[in-house]
Amino acid sequence: MKTPLIKIENLNHSFSDGTCGIRDICLCIDPEEFIILAGRNGSGKTTLIRHFNGLLHPSSGKITLNGNSIFKDINLARKKIGMIFQDADTQIVGDTVFDEVAFGLENLKIERQYITKKVMQVLKQLHLDHLKDRSPATLSGGEKRKLAIAGILVMEPDIILFDEPFSNLDYPGTLSILEILIDLHESGRTIIVAAHNMEAIIAHATRLIIMEDGRIKKDGPPKDLVKTLERFGIKEPCSSRLGFGIQPWQN
Amino acid sequence: MAELTLFTYRKGDSLLHLLDVRCKFILLCLTSICIFKAHFSSVFLFIFVLIFFFINCRINLLKNLSGLAFFLLLLVLMFISRSVALPGDPVFTLFDISVTKQGMTDGALMVSRFFTIMMAGILFSITTRPASLKNAIQWLLKPVPFVPEKRVAVMVSLALTFLPLILRQANQVSDAQKARLGNLNKNPVKKIVRLSIPLLKKTFVSADNLAFAMEARCYDEDRTDPEFHLSGKEGLFFIGGLVLSACLVLY
Ligand SMILES: Nc1ncnc2c1ncn2[C@@H]1O[C@H](COP(=O)(O)OP(=O)(O)O)[C@@H](O)[C@H]1O
Ligand SMILES: [Mg+2]
Repeated sequence: MKTPLIKIENLNHSFSDGTCGIRDICLCIDPEEFIILAGRNGSGKTTLIRHFNGLLHPSSGKITLNGNSIFKDINLARKKIGMIFQDADTQIVGDTVFDEVAFGLENLKIERQYITKKVMQVLKQLHLDHLKDRSPATLSGGEKRKLAIAGILVMEPDIILFDEPFSNLDYPGTLSILEILIDLHESGRTIIVAAHNMEAIIAHATRLIIMEDGRIKKDGPPKDLVKTLERFGIKEPCSSRLGFGIQPWQN
Repeated sequence: MAELTLFTYRKGDSLLHLLDVRCKFILLCLTSICIFKAHFSSVFLFIFVLIFFFINCRINLLKNLSGLAFFLLLLVLMFISRSVALPGDPVFTLFDISVTKQGMTDGALMVSRFFTIMMAGILFSITTRPASLKNAIQWLLKPVPFVPEKRVAVMVSLALTFLPLILRQANQVSDAQKARLGNLNKNPVKKIVRLSIPLLKKTFVSADNLAFAMEARCYDEDRTDPEFHLSGKEGLFFIGGLVLSACLVLY
């Protein structure tokens, strides 16, 4: 049997104040999956995905990437597993758009010539190249979210984790992030999206995982689970509720 | 928020815009120190040089003088205090306070020196991106022992990105309190306490998120060195700057 891309065994995490974040998580993730991690606020989605790249240390249990513990080479894990945080404002480090995107590569001590080339390529890919000298503070919400994605893409991750990628975005902003997500999946990356509202993405997902109280309650293809969503405090997408099954959100 | 003031960077391709920041920064420091030895003739020489550069970057200083009102007022006060404080031949006497000729000359010289430094500073900040100033500081601190120049550079750039964020959060908190009629309480101490507690809380949460976001992108102090662009005129400017500094000290 081939090893899964990411394997999580009996993962538990308790915060220093005793709150239990996640309990007994077992999960295997294969290449090219598009996973939605659903659950109401406080169900442990953020806590779980922060374990994937070692930002949080588990109280017990282990995580492997391609069969090796992620803590064996944490920088490799963080390069391979990119993470976009929920709040775009507080994850921006650079004082210009260009510097912000270059930050990760500079940390890896990549040579300057390659950085300049790679950053420009990613900025073009996400249609941000005309903003390269702007201060990130002056960008719109959608542009900031795209910038955060650009900062991860330069590191060429195989797996990308998104924490609530659509929160606080308007309709065009949501559409453009959705397009990026679909493109990234089509180019062969594994996508994991933590969300409490899946209206926009459910049609593109290959797998739906529902969490509650820090536990995985359901795991399966979206079409089988969509009717159970509301039992866990997550809104069922309109098209499904109206009896049309799962329909793509954009035309 | 990002208002255009006299001190903010403006895009351009003038001589000073293209000049290497390190050269610009060193010359600014050098001439600012030397000008405190200067007399009228060399101060005027310096002012002529500055006017040339203002024209070269197409900044109309006269239009912008209103932004300097406070500074000009300060200069006037400085002139007045100087002219009455120095003993010498009285020009006229008012209520036993005599304005002396020596005082006026000395005051005028001091005011013109401060004014010139101010102009040079404005010119520097208009033509220099904050990000490249940060790079110059990092480069200049490199030979200084016991100063971790890369850490300093990251701190400077975080300060530059986080100041607008903190200011915006302060505005939000203050608006939220006004919306609940918090402005009816006129006690300034209470006001500050009520403003600062939620603001500090927000700032700590942001700092926590930021630390996670930097870690997720492999933050390391041993980073790729910044890149500088030489315009090819640095040698010329350096010699010019040295000559000017010599004039300032000698004449
Ligand atoms: N730093 C922390 N300290 C203590 N408890 C926390 C901390 N972060 C999250 N929690 C708790 O852990 C649980 C899961 O939170 P989280 O993973 O953020 O949920 P979600 O992202 O699904 O909304 C919640 O009950 C929350 O209160
Ligand atoms: Mg969350």
